[in-house]
Amino acid sequence: MSEKKKKAKRDSSFGLIIYKDTVGDKVFDIVNVVFFTLFMILCVFPFYYLFINTISNNDLVNRGMITFIPRGIHFNNYLSLLNVTGLGQSFTVTILRTIIGTALMVAISGFAGYIVTKQHMWKRKIWYRMIVITMYFNAGLIPWYLNMLMLGLTNSFWAYIIPGMVAPYNIILVKTYVESISPELEESALLDGATTMQVFTRIIWPLSKPILATIAIFGAVGNWNSFQDSLLLMNDASLFTLQHRLYIYLNQTTDLGSLMDSAMANRIASGTLSNRIIKYTISMVTVIPILLVYPFMQRYFVKGIMLGAVKG
Amino acid sequence: MSLFLREGKVDIIKQNSISQPRKPYNYLYWLQRAMILFSVVTLFLPAFFPGRITDKISKYCSIFTAAVSYSNLTANVGLGFRYISVLTFRLVQLSGIAIVVGVAVAGIGGCMSLGNNKMRLRGGFFPMIGAGLILLGDVFARVSFTRFDAELKAAGKKLGQQEPKWSLNFFLVFAIILFLISIVLVLSEIKREREEKMEMQEKYKLFLYILPILMLAFIFSYLPLWGWRYAFFDYKSGADLTADKFVGFKWFGYLFSSAVTRADILRVLKNTLVMSSLGILTSWLPVAFAIFLSEIRSTGFRKSVQILTTIPNFISWVLVYAIAFAFFSTEGFVNDLIETVTKVAADANYLQNDHLSWIKMLAWGTWKGLGWSAIIYIAAISGVDQSLYEAAMVDGAGRFKRMWHITVPALVPTYCVMLMLSIANILSNGMEQYLVFSNPINKNTLEVLDLYVYNLGIVNSNGGAMIPLSTVVSMAKSLISVFLLFVANSVSKTIRGENII
Repeated sequence: MSEKKKKAKRDSSFGLIIYKDTVGDKVFDIVNVVFFTLFMILCVFPFYYLFINTISNNDLVNRGMITFIPRGIHFNNYLSLLNVTGLGQSFTVTILRTIIGTALMVAISGFAGYIVTKQHMWKRKIWYRMIVITMYFNAGLIPWYLNMLMLGLTNSFWAYIIPGMVAPYNIILVKTYVESISPELEESALLDGATTMQVFTRIIWPLSKPILATIAIFGAVGNWNSFQDSLLLMNDASLFTLQHRLYIYLNQTTDLGSLMDSAMANRIASGTLSNRIIKYTISMVTVIPILLVYPFMQRYFVKGIMLGAVKG
Repeated sequence: MSLFLREGKVDIIKQNSISQPRKPYNYLYWLQRAMILFSVVTLFLPAFFPGRITDKISKYCSIFTAAVSYSNLTANVGLGFRYISVLTFRLVQLSGIAIVVGVAVAGIGGCMSLGNNKMRLRGGFFPMIGAGLILLGDVFARVSFTRFDAELKAAGKKLGQQEPKWSLNFFLVFAIILFLISIVLVLSEIKREREEKMEMQEKYKLFLYILPILMLAFIFSYLPLWGWRYAFFDYKSGADLTADKFVGFKWFGYLFSSAVTRADILRVLKNTLVMSSLGILTSWLPVAFAIFLSEIRSTGFRKSVQILTTIPNFISWVLVYAIAFAFFSTEGFVNDLIETVTKVAADANYLQNDHLSWIKMLAWGTWKGLGWSAIIYIAAISGVDQSLYEAAMVDGAGRFKRMWHITVPALVPTYCVMLMLSIANILSNGMEQYLVFSNPINKNTLEVLDLYVYNLGIVNSNGGAMIPLSTVVSMAKSLISVFLLFVANSVSKTIRGENII
C-alpha cells in the first residue's frame, strides 16, 4: 500500500471515529518534533561546521571566531590541497579502487547470485553453504594478514580489489531477488534454446538492475571508506587510501609542514593556513563525495537493508 | 511446468544421453581431478615453493607470488645482485610461471573431463601438457639452484644459501603421476565411439560456472585457517615453522601463566564486554526511535528525519574522528563556544583524557548508527495492519496504549533477531572505532579485543615473536564467536521456531 493511500485511510478513520487528541498527546507531539529536530541538527551540523571553517577567512578560523556563520568566504584552502604531497595520489587510488572494485564485485555477485538459484547444479547446497559460511566465520585478523602476505598481496593495488570480489552478503541479496523473478521468463528462453549465459545476460541481469544498483552503492561506499586494509597491508605511501591518509594527517600533532611541499609549509609558517584548517579541508574533501551522492541514493540504501532482512 | 524446470527434471531427461566414463576409469578421473585441485592449493602455500634458493627470498613467497611479482621475489636480495646474475632469479620466476601455467592448463583438462566422451578425449591432453609444464618448472628451479651455487662459489661469498627443498621432488613425482594417469585416461577414451560434438551435463556446467567464485572464497576465507598453525609454534620473523619449533599448546597456556599477558587479556576482555553490553543495553533505542518517528504526522518531516539521521552511518570512523577532532580538540567548536560565551580562554582537549571513555564511545556509536538501525523497525511498522489501530481506537485506546499494545508487539520478532545477533557478536566490536579514538592516555580503557590483536600481532609484534600469541587470541575469538552464534540460533529456534542465520 502506498504511503498516500495509507494516510488517506487513516484520515478517514479519524473522521469517522472522532478521536480527539488529549493534552498528553499534544505535549507528546511537541516533545517528539523537538527531539527529532534536535537529532537532525546533531547529525547535520558537524558537516556544516567543518564546511564553514574551510571556506571562511583563515584568520578568523584560527582565532576560533567561526562557529555558526561563515565569514569572508573563499575557496583557496581547497586549491591549496593540490600542494599537499601524496594527497592526489591517494585520491586516485581511492577512486580507482572504488570504480574497479565495485564493478567487479557487482558483476560477480550478480552472476553468482543467479547461478546459485539453479537447483540442478551439481552439489549446489554444499557450494552455496560454503559461500554463506564465510559471512559468519573468519579465521581472525592475524591469520588473515599472514594469508595476504603469503599471497603477495601487500604493497599491491590488487589487495584492494581481489579480496572484495566475492561478497557473500551481496550474493545472498541477489539470489533472493532473482528467486522473486518469475521463472516462466527463464523457461521460455531456455525452451527457445538460450544458453545459461544468454539467460543471464539478456534476462536476469536487466531485470535485477534495482538490486544490482543497491549493492553497487553499498560496495562503492564501502570502498570509499576503506581504511583497515590500507593500514594493515600497505607500507608504500603511494598506495594509501584517502581515509588512511586522513587518519595520518589527523594524528600529526606537530607541524603538518613536513608532509607538504615548501610553498605550503611557508604559508603555514606565515599563519595564513593552519594545521587545523588543512585537517578540516582534507576531511571535507573525503566526505563531500558521499554527501553529494547520498541524497540521490538514499532509497537504494533503504531498499538494501529491507532486502537484507529477508534472510538467505 | 515452472516447477518442473526449476527442479531440473526436464534437464535430467534431456541430459541422460550424454556419455559418462565407464566404472573403473570413473574413479581414476576423480583421482586426477583431486590431484589437480590439490596442485591449485599448492600454488598458494609457501611451503611448496620449490625455488627458494636463498633466505633472502621471503618465506611467505609462494609459487603464485614468485610467478606474478619479480619485485616481491627479489625484494631483499639487494646487494646480492653484485655477484648473482639476474638470470638466476628470473629462472626462479620462470619456474613459478611454468608451474602456475601448467596447473592452469591441467585445470582446464580437469574441467573438460566432466563432459562427454569427445570432450573428455580432447580435454585429456591438457593435463599431459600441464604435467609437462610443471616438470619444466621443476627443472628450472633445479637449474637455478646449481647456477646460484656456482655463482656464489665463483664470488667466494655467502648469501643465505638454502638446501634444495623437498618440494622439488614432490613436483617431479606429481608431474609424472599426473602424466601417467592422463595417458591411461586418454587411452581409455580413444577406443570408444565418438559423439558428433562436445557436450556436458547441465549440472556440471553450472558447477563450472561457480567454481572460480568458490576458489576465490577459498583463497580469501578458508586458506587463512592454515595460518592457525602459527598458534602451535615458536616463531621468529623470517624463520620456517619446522618440527623442532612445535610447542603444542604452550601459547594457550601462556595466556594464563604469564602475569602480564593475563592482566592484559582481562583488561581487554573487560573493555570488550563493557562496550558490547552497553550496546546491548541500548539496543532498544532504535525501536523507540522508529516508534516515535512513526507517530509524527507530517510525511515530509518523517522523510527528512530518516534521510538526515542516516547520513552518519555512511561515513567512515576516520571521518567520525575528524568530526570529533573539530568539535572536542583544544581548538575545537566546544572550546570556541565556551570562549565566546564566557569570555574566558578554554582549551580543554576532550579527546586526550580517559574520563567516561566507554560512554563517549557509546555516544559516538549511537550518533553514527541510531538512524540507520531504526530503518528496519520503521519498515516493520509500515507493515502493521492499519485496521488494528482502527479497531483499538474504536475500543477507546489512546495513543500510548496503541503504541504499547500494537506497535511494540509487532516489532518484538525483529528486535529478538537483532538482539540475538548482537549477543553472538559480543566479542567483535570491530577495531576501527577504537583505533581512531585511542591515544596513549585513553588506551587502557579503549583497547578492545580486536584492537588488542592488531596491536599485539602487528604494531608491537617484536619481530614476529608475538604472532603466535595473537594468533591464539584470534583463534579463540573466532571459535567462541561461532559457538555463540550457534547458541543464539538455537535459542531463536526454540523460542520462535526460526533460524537467524
